[in-house]
Amino acid sequence: MSGLGELDRPGTPESGGAWDARSGEWAAGEGGAGSGAHAGVRAGAGAGPRGQERSGADAPADAPGPAGPATSRRGAVDPVKTLMHRHRELCERAVDPLEIAAGLEAHGVTDRTAARFRHRDVFSLAEEMYARVPRDGDPPPRPVPAALPRPRPDRALLTLLPGILCAATIGGLRLTQGRTRLLVVAVGVLAVLLALRATLRRGPLSPRAGNRPGPHRTGAWTCWLLAYAALGDGLLHAAVTGGPDGPPTGTADGAWPLAATPLLTLALACAPAAWCARLLAVRAGRRLDTSRGLEEFAASVRPLLLGTFTLYLCALAVLTALCAAALGEPAGYAATLTLGALLLLARLLTVHGFPHAPAAVLTAAAAAEVLAVATVFAGRLPGCGFLAVPVETLVAARGPAAVPVLICATAALTLLLHAARTLTRASAHARTAAPC
Amino acid sequence: MRALRIGLLTEGGYPYVSGDAGLWCDRLVRGLGQHEFDIYALSCGPHQETAGWVALPPQVGGVRTAPLWTAEDDGVAYGRRARRRFTECYGELAAALCESGGADAPGSTEGHGSEGASASQADRFASALYGLADLARDEGGLVGALRSEGAVRALERACRAPGALRAAREARVPDLLAVAAHLERALRPLSLDWYADGGGDAPRGLGSVDLCHAASGGVAALPGLLAGHFFDVPLLVTEYGVRLRSHYLGSGTPDAPSGESAPAVRALLAAFHGRLAAEMYRQAACVTPGNAHARRWQERCGADRAKLRTVHPGMESDRFAEVGDGPDGADPHTLVWVGRVEPAKDLVSLLHAFAEIRRTEPRARLRIIGAPAGPEGRAYLGHCRMLAAQLFPDEAESPHAVGDNPVSFEEIGGPEVPTLAEAYAAGAVVVLSSVVEGFPVGLAEAMFCGRATVSTDVGAVVEVIGGTGLVVPPRNPRALAETCGALLRDPERRARLGAAARARALELFTVEQNVAAFHGIYLEIVSRSPVRRFALDDAGDPLPFAVPAEAWLPGRWTGLGARVTATRRGPGWAAGPPVRGTSPAVPVPHCSSASPPASSVSSVSPVSPVPTVSAGKGAR
Repeated sequence: MSGLGELDRPGTPESGGAWDARSGEWAAGEGGAGSGAHAGVRAGAGAGPRGQERSGADAPADAPGPAGPATSRRGAVDPVKTLMHRHRELCERAVDPLEIAAGLEAHGVTDRTAARFRHRDVFSLAEEMYARVPRDGDPPPRPVPAALPRPRPDRALLTLLPGILCAATIGGLRLTQGRTRLLVVAVGVLAVLLALRATLRRGPLSPRAGNRPGPHRTGAWTCWLLAYAALGDGLLHAAVTGGPDGPPTGTADGAWPLAATPLLTLALACAPAAWCARLLAVRAGRRLDTSRGLEEFAASVRPLLLGTFTLYLCALAVLTALCAAALGEPAGYAATLTLGALLLLARLLTVHGFPHAPAAVLTAAAAAEVLAVATVFAGRLPGCGFLAVPVETLVAARGPAAVPVLICATAALTLLLHAARTLTRASAHARTAAPC
Repeated sequence: MRALRIGLLTEGGYPYVSGDAGLWCDRLVRGLGQHEFDIYALSCGPHQETAGWVALPPQVGGVRTAPLWTAEDDGVAYGRRARRRFTECYGELAAALCESGGADAPGSTEGHGSEGASASQADRFASALYGLADLARDEGGLVGALRSEGAVRALERACRAPGALRAAREARVPDLLAVAAHLERALRPLSLDWYADGGGDAPRGLGSVDLCHAASGGVAALPGLLAGHFFDVPLLVTEYGVRLRSHYLGSGTPDAPSGESAPAVRALLAAFHGRLAAEMYRQAACVTPGNAHARRWQERCGADRAKLRTVHPGMESDRFAEVGDGPDGADPHTLVWVGRVEPAKDLVSLLHAFAEIRRTEPRARLRIIGAPAGPEGRAYLGHCRMLAAQLFPDEAESPHAVGDNPVSFEEIGGPEVPTLAEAYAAGAVVVLSSVVEGFPVGLAEAMFCGRATVSTDVGAVVEVIGGTGLVVPPRNPRALAETCGALLRDPERRARLGAAARARALELFTVEQNVAAFHGIYLEIVSRSPVRRFALDDAGDPLPFAVPAEAWLPGRWTGLGARVTATRRGPGWAAGPPVRGTSPAVPVPHCSSASPPASSVSSVSPVSPVPTVSAGKGAR
């Protein structure tokens, strides 16, 4: 009734009574109510006892109404049925009678209109209409779920940025010497950190609206884990063998060597991580729409989660091999894969609104690495030699890389078990609705 | 008289600049300078918070705001016991929403069985709501819990339970998530830190007010409900538009939030808002609808008739005073329509009616004054212009003059009608031809201007106009034409109707009557249900017997102190005026020991029977 399509077109009135299509319809509706009286009389009588002055409203009662032919044409029709037909969309959609009442009122139906349908008020008219809507047919088609935003190429390029910057930094590190090298390293580290921050702020790796991590900041501990991946093995080796004798030189050889492969691999792995996170979000969103119950959803998402995780590990392994070949360093699959898995799981959990566990586990893992190095140094103090025994034994048996592998693998496994429980919940994949 | 402290609860309105209904609250606060207002505002979006506040008068003691559009998880993780408590309460809430039979409003007339069922349903909803509120107050962390999987599971259980609503049984996972998200948003006021009783160093909260006044229904009244639950603060709810109704109207439109258009979601959310409204009406000490239409909805949703008091919205009458009191300088053949141009105003019908009027009154002119509302309104205005041009050819007074159309479309602020008052003053008769109307502000303005009016019988028109104007059925151009024609031919009757309309408007629709009505309601509520508070001594310990038993009884307290000493002399530590733990709220009668027993007998007033009898016995 408010749609522009229903506005009557300009033109002179042809007859004296039904001035346009709608008033004719209304006149017919009134006549169809079986009242025997036509519009003017009805309305006049309906509001008359209120003691208003109404001279003009009574006039149509005197003139034989033009509603006459319309009445005979449509007189036999059940008036409520006509009304229901006119508002059939409202009736089919309504979840209770009050919704029909609100909709009818918005279309100008008042208690006095309802009186023409032999009802006390709009509410009882709406109740009759609600009761008469056929409901045994097929359920109405489900609304099409809102499509996820399309993948954006600029975002995809953004995820590649940390890897590229990291590669450039490592290249600069290898090509320069002395003060320039220090400068290159400082600028490069800063640039990579900024690029990482940008990657984690938007796109599939960013926490969704309403899932801000709040007090659970993990940035410092993550940086420590990465730094350990690059320098930790060298430090531990040097510590066990009595060093280190000086600061790291930034080269793969020397007393405190730098392992650039894990850093480059993990920086490049931002891209597959973002793709995997998006894959998980899109697929889980689709399962969400087709699931009937929470259990069903959990059962269908669990293999998806594990599959995505495996896919990421495969990508990481390939990247590790490529980087190791390019940099001419030993690959060190175990350390890179466990750390990458740990960081991915932590990010996924944070993204889906569970920041507590990743924060705790990352902190614990980083602290364990600090502790491992600290015990070796503490063992040099007189009488404290026993402190260094566990780490030294491990290093002697498996090499210095065994320490971070053990720690990260434990942490990643913990997070994986946690993710298998939490990320399969429907509430983790709820689309955040617009506020208010 | 002692100042009352009133907690004004708003949602997305006052004191924000961009808030709707801000004007009304502003007038109320400014009009009641003798009382103190604490404003508790829920904001509806970041744009409101950046836009800032309106200037606040000095009687506003404090403003506390909370965002409704975002909630910070306070990071409290529940232990086993708290989680069980939450699951129980939330499960109860979900079960109360899913129960079938709740599809009907509680006020439906189905007989005693249904009424009993709906009463138990309302109790269930209320106890679940207050249970969640208690949990939030004791433990915090409700935001996280409402978002958690436990909440969704509880919803699923309730939906799959036998006897659940038909629509709820078909709920799927996205529906459950949408309902849980909506409930989390709607229940955010439960986690606010407003519910402090004002003692200690904590900022003053709702516990220290004498009365909560919710400026709208729905979520804004939720803090008021909780204040009533925690501190027995009485609640006054003012609804100029019924929230439940606007929820229904908003839920079906395409611009409703995505995911909330599924039938199961709409059924559950409608049940939630319906139950919330019913609980609000049940707990409120007084409910003030703005017009009879809102009143009917409130009655329908379970509001007790005894609590309902219609308070018409107030309007500035000053700017119409000159036109209303001055002589009628209008062209006696001019009809005026004033308002925002939109399809609901049915200008087409008015133009058809005017064509009929022109047959009998060839000199009649019609001025349509108003700006279009939105793109739809602009299209409608263009359509009406075209129709007018087709119906009425341009006319000139003589063969040598330039002609003009008898129907003119103007906007306020133009050279012909610089102000709204002059727009009304330009017409001998003001016409309202709407098919849908809420509270017809334009009609009330025309009444202030002392114009004779012809309106269609929609919305609150009949209630506003009373007997001081003519009313015709909507969509009846012929009746409209006859009535307008009759008025144009009868200047005396026009003057009579105009004067009566102005008198009625000045009686009912001024800002002053609105403010005075609320002032009266405040005093009445506070006298009927004073907030019970305990008096504390200097050390902060409760002071026993500082408030005599009579203070808990209704009635006046004249001579009460004397009567207390007549029966028993109070202990020394109760002699001085007690130190209040909270701000002074109830006039506590001092247990003064100065008056001798003999004089007290003569000053006994027949207020509360028990002490009177004992005092009388003592005298004998």
